[in-house]
Amino acid sequence: MATPDELFCWEGDFGLPSVSTECLLVLAYAQFAGAPLKVHKISNPWRSPSGSLPALRTNQNETLTRPADIIIHLRKQKFNADYDLSAKEGADSLAFISLMEEKLVPALIYTFWVEPKNYVELTRSWYSEHMPFPLSLFLPGRMQRHQLDKLRLLREDASLEAGDELEKELYRDAMECINLLSQRLGSQKFFFGDSPSSLDAYVFGHLAPLLKSRLPNAKLQQHLKSVENLTHFCSDILLLYFPRDARENSNQKPSSAAEAGGDGDEVPYKRRKQLLSALFALGAMLSYAFLTGIVSIQHQQGALLEPPHHNPEQDEEDG
Amino acid sequence: MNVCVFIPTAAEPWPENATLYQPLKEDQILLSDCASSLAVQAYLRMCGLPVQVVCRANAEYMSPSGKIPFIHVGNQVVSELGPIVQFTKAKGHSLSDGLDDVQRAEMKAYMELVNNMLLTAELFIQWCDDATAAEISRPRYSSPYSWPLNNILAYQKQWEVRRKMNAIGWGGKTLEQVYEDVSQCCQALSQRLGTQPYFFSKQPTELDALVFGHLFTIITTRLTSGELAERIKGFSNLLSFCRRIEQTYFEDKTKNTKLSKFV
Amino acid sequence: MGTVHARSLDPLPMQGPELGVQPDDIEAPGIEQEPKQEVLENRNVVVQQVHIDGLGRTKEDLLTYEIADVFRAKSLIDVMKKSHEARQKLLRLGIFRKVEVLIDTSRGEGALPNGLDVTFEVTELRRLTGSYNTMVGNNEGSMVLGLKLPNALGRAEKLTFQFSYGTKETSYGLSFFKPQPGNFERNISLNLYKVMGQFPWSSLRETDRGVSAELTFPMWKTSQTLKWEGVWRELGCLARTPSFAIRKESGHTLKSSLSHAMVIDTRNSSILPRRGGLLRIHQELAGFTGGDVSFLKEDFEIQLNKSLFWDSVLSASLWSGLVLPIGDKPTSIADRFYLGGPTSIRGFSMYSVGPQSEGDYLGGEAYWAGGLHLYTPLPFRPAKGGFGDLFRTHFFLNAGNLCNLNYGEGPKAHLKKLAECVRWSYGLGVLLRLGNIARLELNYCIPMGVQSGDRICDGVQFGAGIRFL
Repeated sequence: MATPDELFCWEGDFGLPSVSTECLLVLAYAQFAGAPLKVHKISNPWRSPSGSLPALRTNQNETLTRPADIIIHLRKQKFNADYDLSAKEGADSLAFISLMEEKLVPALIYTFWVEPKNYVELTRSWYSEHMPFPLSLFLPGRMQRHQLDKLRLLREDASLEAGDELEKELYRDAMECINLLSQRLGSQKFFFGDSPSSLDAYVFGHLAPLLKSRLPNAKLQQHLKSVENLTHFCSDILLLYFPRDARENSNQKPSSAAEAGGDGDEVPYKRRKQLLSALFALGAMLSYAFLTGIVSIQHQQGALLEPPHHNPEQDEEDG
Repeated sequence: MNVCVFIPTAAEPWPENATLYQPLKEDQILLSDCASSLAVQAYLRMCGLPVQVVCRANAEYMSPSGKIPFIHVGNQVVSELGPIVQFTKAKGHSLSDGLDDVQRAEMKAYMELVNNMLLTAELFIQWCDDATAAEISRPRYSSPYSWPLNNILAYQKQWEVRRKMNAIGWGGKTLEQVYEDVSQCCQALSQRLGTQPYFFSKQPTELDALVFGHLFTIITTRLTSGELAERIKGFSNLLSFCRRIEQTYFEDKTKNTKLSKFV
Repeated sequence: MGTVHARSLDPLPMQGPELGVQPDDIEAPGIEQEPKQEVLENRNVVVQQVHIDGLGRTKEDLLTYEIADVFRAKSLIDVMKKSHEARQKLLRLGIFRKVEVLIDTSRGEGALPNGLDVTFEVTELRRLTGSYNTMVGNNEGSMVLGLKLPNALGRAEKLTFQFSYGTKETSYGLSFFKPQPGNFERNISLNLYKVMGQFPWSSLRETDRGVSAELTFPMWKTSQTLKWEGVWRELGCLARTPSFAIRKESGHTLKSSLSHAMVIDTRNSSILPRRGGLLRIHQELAGFTGGDVSFLKEDFEIQLNKSLFWDSVLSASLWSGLVLPIGDKPTSIADRFYLGGPTSIRGFSMYSVGPQSEGDYLGGEAYWAGGLHLYTPLPFRPAKGGFGDLFRTHFFLNAGNLCNLNYGEGPKAHLKKLAECVRWSYGLGVLLRLGNIARLELNYCIPMGVQSGDRICDGVQFGAGIRFL
């Protein structure tokens, strides 16, 4: 293999190698499988080849963005963390990943992006502090709208808003999911014995941000912290596979804060966004011109249509 | 009533007039709704709870969650299998009491596997495959309505489902990839089932009802292409599993149920 | 082009804008033959020319109809009267902000000694007018934006657009109105709208999107309206746990209906009339032109007013209606009648009478309601002739019933059913007229004949509305 694949992902903080769930699970899987990736930790999604994070640029210059696709690609390169799993264990992995996607992901989106206090004090402030200047003004808001839309589609409720009832429902499902994961893990080191697999990467990716970020509204976090085996599971992976990040966290107390549930695909809108700003400026100018234009059109028409109005005497003389 | 598998210890009386609502069976209901409805019916039969199935064109809008099916018991209305399982449990009817913690975790996980992959694949094939959408889904979905409302509602539904597919990352998938996902899911289910009669040995649970509902509906429903059913027919233990549940819970009741006509 | 030269006594001018372009070529010969009078006398004048100054977008042919009568005037008084009428007609078109009339003797070539020229100086409304309102209701606010093209195509066509953006709902309406030139009462209008309504008494939310076409024309003393309407109605539950009867009504329906309305209104005011009567008959046939809702609906309203001693007015009104489902589908909750509340049977809560399920009122297929009111000025008549005249006190007696009919039974059984379980109420109150469009009422009511399930409002009840029993 000549050049290694390049992985673009969000920067880390709070002792995590990346703040985004999807980036984190890809990083974890790559570590577990021992894939030699050239990792670019960035805080400007527009610098990613796909415009979104994570993104994997393969040495054939393909770009993959979905974590599942990236993992399949790595597997094809013989970096397979699931090599030792039996067929039944493979089936269990699939089932528990589905469980997390159905029950945990909506609650994570809610916690990080929809719950107002968490979003404003943690998520938005982290992203706007880490993004370069003009992006920091609007990209966090865009990402938030995108995540809210996603939650609405997942729940099939187009008018969904943050609220106690919704929070209760989502957290109930998420807590149940956390409990089920904890029961499945039991006292093992990893889900399937002593070596980590893709399921471990998924669980780590989803739970570590929830565990490590400083959430002002920490109901779900409290619950996770009370589940000992999962807490240890996350810290062990951090220590074993991301020792540098884990150490950084213990050395410095990072000032601000943040975390991402999953930053999805807001940046395919990159071009569109640029186009939109240009269009907006153009539109503003045009509408101003149009508004004043109406006035002038009116005057002109008056003048054109009403010559007799200006010389009525002459008209009368004719008659 | 047929075999009562689980005899609840502190069963509250289950009203005789409990009703399950679903869209019109012959002209309207789509594969995914039919599968979900059959899963709930199978679950209630496994619990030995009688329910009368009522078809209404506006079932989707009557449902509190907008999802099919829902049951009306006493003065309560509950939709979807998950909440219905909780509801019957609160009334003292449960199929999964005998499981240990790990088994219960696995059961829930496999149920979500079915929802996450099979149900999503059904929705994808219904609404994102242009041929199926044009020939089956849109005409059937909108059959109770008159022009032009039928077109409006059908396209509105299609648009919603496609947005959802984009949101969960299925937007860019091809039909072949979706069939591959279905195979993968069935492979997992087949592995989990192995040679047992039910997923957790001798007694059925809600997972069995859910898997039966989806697999049986897929096998017995004619779509534009038989590919989806073919993928399932590759797994012989799943096929005999479906047949077993059908024979145990559906066949002896009446000869004219919708299921027996496919046998 | 801004000046209209219409010829006197011509048969009503034919259509077309060329009229007035070359006015001098078509000088009516019939007028020119009598130049005998030297002195302008009231008794015999000829209106030679009518000018309309200040026209911009307005097409002249429209105005020739409105001012044609001025040419028929034979005396100065007559000219003034006719001109005044013409001015009123012009203002009624709703396209001018101001109309002034100037009458002068004819001058110039061909001027007759007794010839008069009438000049209307008009100021047109702007091409586009806009309005902006905010409205605050219970628990919600909304912003209403209105745009209006008062004279869209130059012949008093109106194009209006209203958009209301609220915290809970968004509604809009686009309507196009076109009167027949010279006959403002005969007009057509086309509408396109979306409205959302919430009906807490039924735990129901309704969203309507529709188009309608309407033709209104006068006939004898009546005003007739023919209308076609196609509405896509979406019903949903307002509460989280509505009654199952309401759930069953949820979903989409498409109504396509033809309706006819006839109104005779001889009242001097629609809010607090002192004399005259009103008869309104409305009938609607749905399902005939498509859609999935079929019914026949008949509805009428009668009101008679009589002035009595001391400025008091006795008013009696009767409403009644019936909706008949066609085919085997029952009527939709959105098509049935509702009764009760401060605008119909006082002393009962809003639309909270009749068939209901778990506290959600379902409406009825047949109803009647009658009211007898004695309106008097305020006691001791404070601020008479001014502010005080906006107020009235009234004594009222309301009665009515709302029920579902079994159409297998004969009309006798129906009448019997409508006559039993009659709800009625009496009381007194003060009412305030708001402009000529709405009124507020504060009443003390005593409900009687209450049936189980009805929701009453015993004692003080406040009401606001534009149509009252």
